[in-house]
Amino acid sequence: MTLTSPAKPRSDSKRPMPTPPAKRRRFEATYLGFLVPALICFTIAITVPAAMGIFFSFTDSVGFGDYNLIGLANYAALFTDPAIIGAYSFTIGFALVTVLLTNALAFLLAVGLTAQIRARVALRTIFVMPMVISGIVIAYVFNFLFSNTLPTVGEYFGIEFLKSSLLSNPDLAWLSIVIVSAWQAIPSAMLIYIAGLMAIPYDLYEASSLDGASALGQLVHVTLPLMIGYIGINIIIGFKNFLGAYDVIVGLTNGGPGVKTRSIAMTIFTGFERGDYAYQMANATVFFIISLIIALLQLRLTNRGQAK
Amino acid sequence: MNFGSEGLSRPLKRRSFIASMLATGTLALTSCGTDDARAGIRFNQSKPEVIPYFRELLGRFNSSQGTVKATHEVTAGLSAAFARNDPPDLGCLNYNFEMARFQERGALSDLSDLPQQKMNAPFIKQLLDLYPDYPGRTSVLPYSMMGAAVLYNKDIFEKHSLSIPTRYSELLDLCGELSDLGITPIYSTFKDAWTASQGLADYSIGGAIDINQHFADLREIGSDFTPDSSVTFSKAFTDPLLKMQELAKFSNNDAANRGYGDGNLAFANGQAAMYLQGPWALPEIAKTNPDANIGTFPLPMTEDPRDLKIRVNLDLALWIPEQSDHKAEARELLAFLCQPEIQNAYNESALGFGVRSDSPPTKDPRLKQMQPYIDTGRIYQGVSTAIPRTIPFENYMQGLVTGGSVEQTLATLDADWARLAQRS
Repeated sequence: MTLTSPAKPRSDSKRPMPTPPAKRRRFEATYLGFLVPALICFTIAITVPAAMGIFFSFTDSVGFGDYNLIGLANYAALFTDPAIIGAYSFTIGFALVTVLLTNALAFLLAVGLTAQIRARVALRTIFVMPMVISGIVIAYVFNFLFSNTLPTVGEYFGIEFLKSSLLSNPDLAWLSIVIVSAWQAIPSAMLIYIAGLMAIPYDLYEASSLDGASALGQLVHVTLPLMIGYIGINIIIGFKNFLGAYDVIVGLTNGGPGVKTRSIAMTIFTGFERGDYAYQMANATVFFIISLIIALLQLRLTNRGQAK
Repeated sequence: MNFGSEGLSRPLKRRSFIASMLATGTLALTSCGTDDARAGIRFNQSKPEVIPYFRELLGRFNSSQGTVKATHEVTAGLSAAFARNDPPDLGCLNYNFEMARFQERGALSDLSDLPQQKMNAPFIKQLLDLYPDYPGRTSVLPYSMMGAAVLYNKDIFEKHSLSIPTRYSELLDLCGELSDLGITPIYSTFKDAWTASQGLADYSIGGAIDINQHFADLREIGSDFTPDSSVTFSKAFTDPLLKMQELAKFSNNDAANRGYGDGNLAFANGQAAMYLQGPWALPEIAKTNPDANIGTFPLPMTEDPRDLKIRVNLDLALWIPEQSDHKAEARELLAFLCQPEIQNAYNESALGFGVRSDSPPTKDPRLKQMQPYIDTGRIYQGVSTAIPRTIPFENYMQGLVTGGSVEQTLATLDADWARLAQRS
C-alpha cells in the first residue's frame, strides 16, 4: 500500500499549473525531501529483508551457514503440511468470525454514541480505552479472568459451564481469542463508524422522519446505505489485521490446547526461532501474497469511494 | 511504606546516580586510554536466574589477569547472531536441539583437545550422543547438569506411611490410595504446555524406552523416514503415552486452568503429594514455603525397579564458535570458569549436578535422592529436548493430557517428522 501511494500525483499533472516551473521544481524537491528518508528506511527495514526472505524460501537454509537452492520444494511441502493447513484454516475462520462480530458491535456502539444521549463524550472515551492498551497486556488480563475469575464464579454459583476455563476447552478455546480480539479491535472500528455517522447530513433524518420513518427504518434505509463504504473498509482492514493475529493468542492459549489455536504468524515465527527458517519463509511468502491481494482489494475500494 | 525515608532517599539516589554516571564516564575514558592492549571477548549466557552470578564471575576473571577483557552478553536467541556472522566468542547455554543444529552444521569449533574434556564424568558421552555433532568434532564442553524427577511432599508420605513406588503398578496404587485419602496425588499445570511436556510426558517416555536408541535409529533411517518405517513414534511412544494419560487423570481437577506459578504455590502449600517439575521449581516453592519438606524419586514406568531413571539435561554447556576471532582468549575464560572451585560452587548455588568425574555429590537435601541414579548413569534426556521445536511437541503433549487421542497425535508426529526429514 505504502509503495503505491507516491504514484497518485500523476493525475494532477493534467491540470493547468498556476506556479512557474522554477518554483515548482523547488516544491518537488521539498516534497521529495519529505519522502526520501521514509523511503530509505522502508527499503532498508522492509523491502530488502522481505526480498531476502523470499530468496531464502527457495533454499534449504536454517538461517545461518551454507545453503542450497532447492527450487519450489518448500512450497510443495507447505501445501501438504497439515500443520500449515490447520493454521491457515484456523486463522481465516477466526478472522472471519471476529471481523463480523467486531463490526456488528462497533456499528451498534457508534450508532448509540452518536445519538442524542447524555454523557456521550465520556462514554466514547470509555469505549475507546481498549485501543490504547497493548494486546499482550489485554491477553494476560483476560487469561487471568478466564482461568481464575470465571471458574471461581462458576464454582460459587454452581454454574457448570463456567467451572472449567474456556482456554482449556479444545473445541471452544478459539472463542476466547475471538472475544478478546474483538474487545480490542472494536474501538478503532467504532471511531471510523462515528466519523461516518457524523458525516451524514441531518436533513436526511429530518426528511425521513417527516415521511414517517421509525428509528429502525431510518437505520436500515438511511444510515446503512450511506455507511456501506465505511463498512467495507472496516471489514477489509479488520480482516487483514486479524489474519496477522499473534500477541493475543500467545498471551491467551499459546496455540493450545494442543495445536487448536495456532495462527499463521505463530507458525512463521517458530520457523525463524527454531531452525525451520527457509520453510517458514516460504510460508511467509504465501502469507504475504494473500495479504497483498487483500490490500489491493482495499485500495480499489477506497479509490472507488473517492471517485464518487 | 515509610514516606519519610522515601523523601530522604530520593535526592540521595539522584546524587548517587549522577556520581555513578560520572564514575562510569571516567572509567570509560580511562579504559580507552589504558586497556587497548587487552583483547575484548564476548561471553553469552542468558539463563535469567544466574545472570548476576556470572556477571560477578566475569568481574573476577577480568581483574584476575591483564590480557583478556570479557563482556557479558545476555541476549537469548542466537540464530540472529549466527546469521549475521557475529556470534559471541564463548557461549554458555542450555544444551538442546536448538544448540545442536549449530554444531551439526559446523558453526562451533572443535574442543576435543581441551584438557577439561578428559575430566568429563563417564555418563557425559551418553548425553552428548543424543545430538549429531559435526564429523570429527566435539563442539561443546558440558558445564552443569540438572536432574529432574517427581518432586514429592515428604510430610504427606510420612504422615500416611506411604512408600516411594518403584513399579508402575505401585505408582497407580499409590495414586489410588492418595485419592481415597482425599489428597490430590499429582499437581498438574496443563495450561502451560511446556509443563505437561517436560514433566509428565518426558518422564513417562524416558522411564519406559531408550530415548538415545530411538533417535539413533531415526537418524539411521534419515530422510527415508515414513510413517511406515521400522522405527516410528507411533510404535515407540504409544504405550508410555497411554500410561501418561492414565496418570494425568490423578491430577487436580482444575489442572487445565492452572499454570506453572499456580503449581509452585499449590505444591509449596502442601495441596498435592507429587509435582512433576524440575529443580528450577524448588527456589520458587521455597519463596512460598521455605520449610517445604521435599524429596525426589524417578517416575516408575515399568514393572522392573532396575529400569528406574531420572531425567537430566545439560543445563549449561560451553562452546566457541568457528567464526570467533578470539578463540584462544575464549579458551582462557573457559579454563577460568572450569576451575573446580568455581564450577562446583556454581552447581551448588544453581541446584545443578556436577559433570566432571571429580565433582562432589550434591549437598542439597531435596536433590540427594537423585545422586545414586546419576552416579550409576541411570539417566536419560527428555524426549522434548530431542525433537526440533519446529514440531509443536509441547502442544501435542498438552493436547494428550487434556484428553486427545494418542493414536492420532502420534500419527501427526510421524507425519511431521517425515516432512522434516525430507526437507532437511
